[in-house]
Amino acid sequence: MPIANSTRKFSVAIHKQDELLSTQNTYFVKPEDMKLTSKEKIKRFFWDPKEKSFFGRNATSWSKIIIFYLVFYGMLAALVAICMWVFYQTLDPRIPKWQLDRSIIGTNPGLGFRPMPTQDNIESTLIWFQASNKTNYLKWVKNLNEFLDKYYTPGKLEKGTASTTGCSYEQFPKPGEVCDVDVKVWSKCGREKFFDYHRNSPCIFLKLNKIYGWLPDYYKDVRELPNDMPLQLKLHIGNTSQIMRNTVWISCEGENPADVEYLGPIAYHPEIQGFPGYYFPYKNGEGYLSPLVAVQFLRPTSGIVINIECKAWAKNIKHNRQDRLGSVHFELLID
Amino acid sequence: MCSMLLQFGRTDSYRVATIPANYDDNKTADGRSKSRRKNAKKQRKADDLDDLKQELDIDYHKISPEELYQRFQTHPENGLSHAKAKENLERDGPNALTPPKTIPEWVKFCKNLFGGFALLLWVGSILCFIAYSIQATSVEEPIDDNLYLGIVLAAVVIVTGIFSYYQESKSSKIMESFKNMVPQFATVIREGEKLTLRAEDLVLGDVVEVKFGDRIPADIRIIESRGLKVDNSSLTGESEPQSRSPEFTHDNPLETKNLAFFSTNAVEGTAKGVVISCGDNTVMGRIAGLASGLDTGETPIAKEIHHFIHIITGVAVFLGVTFFIIALVLKYFWLDAVIFLIGIIVANVPEGLLATVTVCLTLTAKRMASKNCLVKNLEAVETLGSTSTICSDKTGTLTQNRMTVAHMWFDNQIIEADTTEDQSGVQYDRTSPGFKALARIASLCNRAEFKGGQDGVPILKKEVNGDASEAALLKCMELALGDILGIRRKNKKVCEIPFNSTNKYQVSIHENEDPNDPRHVLVMKGAPERILERCATIFIGGKEKVLDEEMKEAFNNAYLELGGLGERVLGFCDFMLPTDKYPTGFKFNADDPNFPLEGLRFVGLMSMIDPPRAAVPDAVAKCRSAGIKVIMVTGDHPITAKAIAKSVGIISEGNETVEDIAQRLNIPVSEVNPREAKAAVIHGSDLRDLSSDQLDEVLRYHTEIVFARTSPQQKLIIVEGCQRMGAIVAVTGDGVNDSPALKKADIGVAMGIAGSDVSKQAADMILLDDNFASIVTGVEEGRLIFDNLKKSIAYTLTSNIPEISPFLAFMLCDIPLPLGTVTILCIDLGTDMVPAISLAYEEAESDIMKRRPRNPFTDKLVNERLISMAYGQIGMIQAAAGFFAYFVIMAENGFLPPELFGIRKQWDSKAVNDLTDSYGQEWTYKDRKTLEYTCHTAFFVSIVIVQWADLIICKTRRNSILHQGMRNWALNFGLVFETALAAFLSYTPGMDKGLRMFPLKFLWWLPALPFSLAIFVYDEIRRFYLRRNPGGWLEQETYY
Repeated sequence: MPIANSTRKFSVAIHKQDELLSTQNTYFVKPEDMKLTSKEKIKRFFWDPKEKSFFGRNATSWSKIIIFYLVFYGMLAALVAICMWVFYQTLDPRIPKWQLDRSIIGTNPGLGFRPMPTQDNIESTLIWFQASNKTNYLKWVKNLNEFLDKYYTPGKLEKGTASTTGCSYEQFPKPGEVCDVDVKVWSKCGREKFFDYHRNSPCIFLKLNKIYGWLPDYYKDVRELPNDMPLQLKLHIGNTSQIMRNTVWISCEGENPADVEYLGPIAYHPEIQGFPGYYFPYKNGEGYLSPLVAVQFLRPTSGIVINIECKAWAKNIKHNRQDRLGSVHFELLID
Repeated sequence: MCSMLLQFGRTDSYRVATIPANYDDNKTADGRSKSRRKNAKKQRKADDLDDLKQELDIDYHKISPEELYQRFQTHPENGLSHAKAKENLERDGPNALTPPKTIPEWVKFCKNLFGGFALLLWVGSILCFIAYSIQATSVEEPIDDNLYLGIVLAAVVIVTGIFSYYQESKSSKIMESFKNMVPQFATVIREGEKLTLRAEDLVLGDVVEVKFGDRIPADIRIIESRGLKVDNSSLTGESEPQSRSPEFTHDNPLETKNLAFFSTNAVEGTAKGVVISCGDNTVMGRIAGLASGLDTGETPIAKEIHHFIHIITGVAVFLGVTFFIIALVLKYFWLDAVIFLIGIIVANVPEGLLATVTVCLTLTAKRMASKNCLVKNLEAVETLGSTSTICSDKTGTLTQNRMTVAHMWFDNQIIEADTTEDQSGVQYDRTSPGFKALARIASLCNRAEFKGGQDGVPILKKEVNGDASEAALLKCMELALGDILGIRRKNKKVCEIPFNSTNKYQVSIHENEDPNDPRHVLVMKGAPERILERCATIFIGGKEKVLDEEMKEAFNNAYLELGGLGERVLGFCDFMLPTDKYPTGFKFNADDPNFPLEGLRFVGLMSMIDPPRAAVPDAVAKCRSAGIKVIMVTGDHPITAKAIAKSVGIISEGNETVEDIAQRLNIPVSEVNPREAKAAVIHGSDLRDLSSDQLDEVLRYHTEIVFARTSPQQKLIIVEGCQRMGAIVAVTGDGVNDSPALKKADIGVAMGIAGSDVSKQAADMILLDDNFASIVTGVEEGRLIFDNLKKSIAYTLTSNIPEISPFLAFMLCDIPLPLGTVTILCIDLGTDMVPAISLAYEEAESDIMKRRPRNPFTDKLVNERLISMAYGQIGMIQAAAGFFAYFVIMAENGFLPPELFGIRKQWDSKAVNDLTDSYGQEWTYKDRKTLEYTCHTAFFVSIVIVQWADLIICKTRRNSILHQGMRNWALNFGLVFETALAAFLSYTPGMDKGLRMFPLKFLWWLPALPFSLAIFVYDEIRRFYLRRNPGGWLEQETYY
């Protein structure tokens, strides 16, 4: 037995050696491959009639790999769906998860203006119209009408649950209520009067960005008013009763001294020249509408671009012209 | 070079006619068979090199001296006239080696600056600058993003370019090293006057004188010789001095005795000769021309990296152009389309990868250097791993290059001497009278002496003055008897006839050390058959016997056996001179011997060999089990070569050559089927007659090949033959003669101690301890780094998908951009770098020395399976993770996913200061951008988190991570590092201004975790199936 065993071992060893030798003997270039040109190789890659392969794979191979990836991506999609579903469980459809300082939106609202140039001219902030050309200014009027539609017919927004109420400085809304916006306070800037565009004294509507839960810190004392506040507004605040000082004030000015000159006198509607405090905080209530201030430029110079900056004023609104924080910028050009 | 062809007084056509036809198609001459452009200049260079590759084909050694003088219009006594010498000098130029044309440095630098990904990144960078300048002129407050991005991209390219230029710039100084071998001055006879000229001023036909210690100043035909011996080791690799005389002894110019070659050393005697070729045209000049002119082509890893760059560039350009067109079709403003293009390019190009690869290679090079493999060319680190054939020089590489006594024959038996380096071998009986007699002759009839000042050195390593065989005898005797000097002093030498090539023996007469025996003892050694002729008796078993036929037969058998072992055999005899004829004080005359030189007493034989290094057989076995074919290429004799090949395992036990089979079956060699013989020993003169097809056949059908008696050109042809068949060839060598092959090889390995300067310059790697076994280390490290580079690239490429997909989504779905270009660069050049490099430290998964070398045509560094894994599978999971994090942050801040689709235009418009979210909140431009950049940061952090899992799965390609373990501390550090870096980038104040990275809430780190886990689980399962079904479909499709 041991002899047989050892001979077998020996033969295994010989076999191993032969195997080893034969691997060393094979070179990687096969003689037949040496003759193929690279063009033929590329051709063979696209379509190899011998293997019936297309791009290096035959039909079975293609179908297998396609099924593999279908299953793989199916499972990946399922994983994403599960994750999304779990994540949605943590969200409330009416209350943002993070608010004020905990959210990136922060506590410093910006201002928006209307009418805005349309979608196809989205990078522009220029309001450019010809008062003499009806089709031209009607474009802007239409733009404004669309925006103000919900103000004129607030019922459209309501779905029955919301309770809008008329508010005043004495009567702030109760929880769950939202204040309505009275369109009459815009007086001359009403839609029936084409917002005065046809008379070269256009109205621009300003609104303060809604931030969930944000409350303004009002300037209650005239001595607190900052130095960079326009004198006109300071005087206006001085003339306002204490209770009505619960207002986020608005001021508009030409950006440069020249612009100030070209801009001429400005009228604010409503006369309070700001957003009354009873509209705050915004709680994503049904039917809530942002308060608006219509700014009317009474006699702006025509034929020249006027840079206008409007600012909102409260103690907790900081201004940054570059980032348009607490302010908004637009240009006016009347031909 | 061409002009010098003419100086032979023969036309080019003659030369062309002597070139065998089979070399004509050899387009690999400059390593670029691919380029088929008929570039005249290139063609000529190839022709020149082809010409250099031919064997020296001259007849100066064959013609009579008179014809020689006539041909060169010279005179053996007076030499050339000054006028003729001047004319020749003007015609042929100086006798010096011309340096090859080198590529100017700035061209090399530009290649690095515009090669590979660089071009793509330049495009990206330039597009950035264009976009910026257009924005700068058209918008009042241009965003500086594109400017910064352009600068960063340009900086990346330039830094990478400088980096790789620096790596490459360690230029080889082959020609300089050759120049160091060239003698400075020569003694010339012109117009009968002996002059000392600068060697450069030598011309054809000059008669020069050389004496021992000189270097031969040009190729010369010897016309007078007084015992000149030259050391041709720089040409043949064999360091044994060879005698030179005016006789024509061999057709082969390298073997005939009447030629001595440029820059070889004269070690003994003096001679006079006629210069037959100068400068670049000398044998050495041709080698130098070959070695410095050969274009080595790309290293295998460079090929792999280029292949990989092609793939990635292809993908980048395809995606970039496709989406550029789609953007234009979707009516995007063209500048926006350009910005998409930039984004796609930046996302597609793994900017840090080339640096990673370089660092990985450097780390391995360092590790190898600590194991005595010094890598000169960084890319060569991997080459040994891909090597499938090693062509090894014998002398000095496989052997110790130190003659050592291997066997002795006395008392009618062969006794093995110990040749091991540490003297651990068998000992023999040192007390038998036979050995004593033999030892006496060996120690006395020996002129070799130890050099002084080597007290501490082991005997075998001591340096010796004198001929190699005598040194071997001296060392052997010093080991056996000790204090040979003392023995010699006791047996005072009274007379000596030194060895010469006609007598082929050496005799000396000594006084007897035994004070009771006043007889002189005559001791003689020499060629065994010559010694035997002079003997009448033989000393066996302590008795003197008559030398009968039986004894002669025994002698012959021993002689043949030892000779068959490839050993150099010497015969020894002695004779006690009778006191009556030769009393004490007798005047012996060596010039006219007045003492008997015949009828002596034969004592025995001693045979010597240059023994293999101790570690070589083991190393050869390891190489072979790693599937590497080991071929011996030597300048030595076939018998010696075969013997050494057998003893180191290059020819394995039981494998026969054609000749062996013929001998065994007793049939003529021509009747043996060459395919039956696995082994082959091929003589240089046979190789000369082989066509390249026949050489291919030899290389293909024999596993164990020994090439003997090869010239430097033939070594080169053998290397090219192997390369032609797709092998990646390593050449090991130590001599100048190996330098063309070293240069041509995919990796040339030179010996650090014994190697010549030229060989070291031509090589890519130097074995500092001259130990062939270090090659095994090199192979192992090379294979490991190849595997690890694969892993590293798989890791790096994976993050490309989560980098590209945000752009595509931005474009196609009109969502705010989820990941910015700056953050992409933070990943590619920041967080991904250290983990990718740390994979270079990964241990091998299996015994990499048990598998065969990779097939350079199919086993690519980056193959479609790796791309499929990285892009198609893991990358997709990563992208999902990134988008999930993006949607989470958007939703938590107010923008639910449905809100985001189609919002892009308003989102990115600075004019819109009141964008409404899902909760009715209105966002200023500034705030939404902060939100967007926070999303970028979160996407970035998510990529880092999924890259944790990716890094861990990339550790192994087949094994489970549980099996592999987490012992790679560099990698563990990488995990911590990337996380720390991500946190640093996110939370450091000021990053919002610099890199637009914003601090994240802790919760926003979490969305990627399930995906990270999914990657880990998916790949563990995949690898589990891979191991369960080796060779199965999954392996074919996903095992990279």
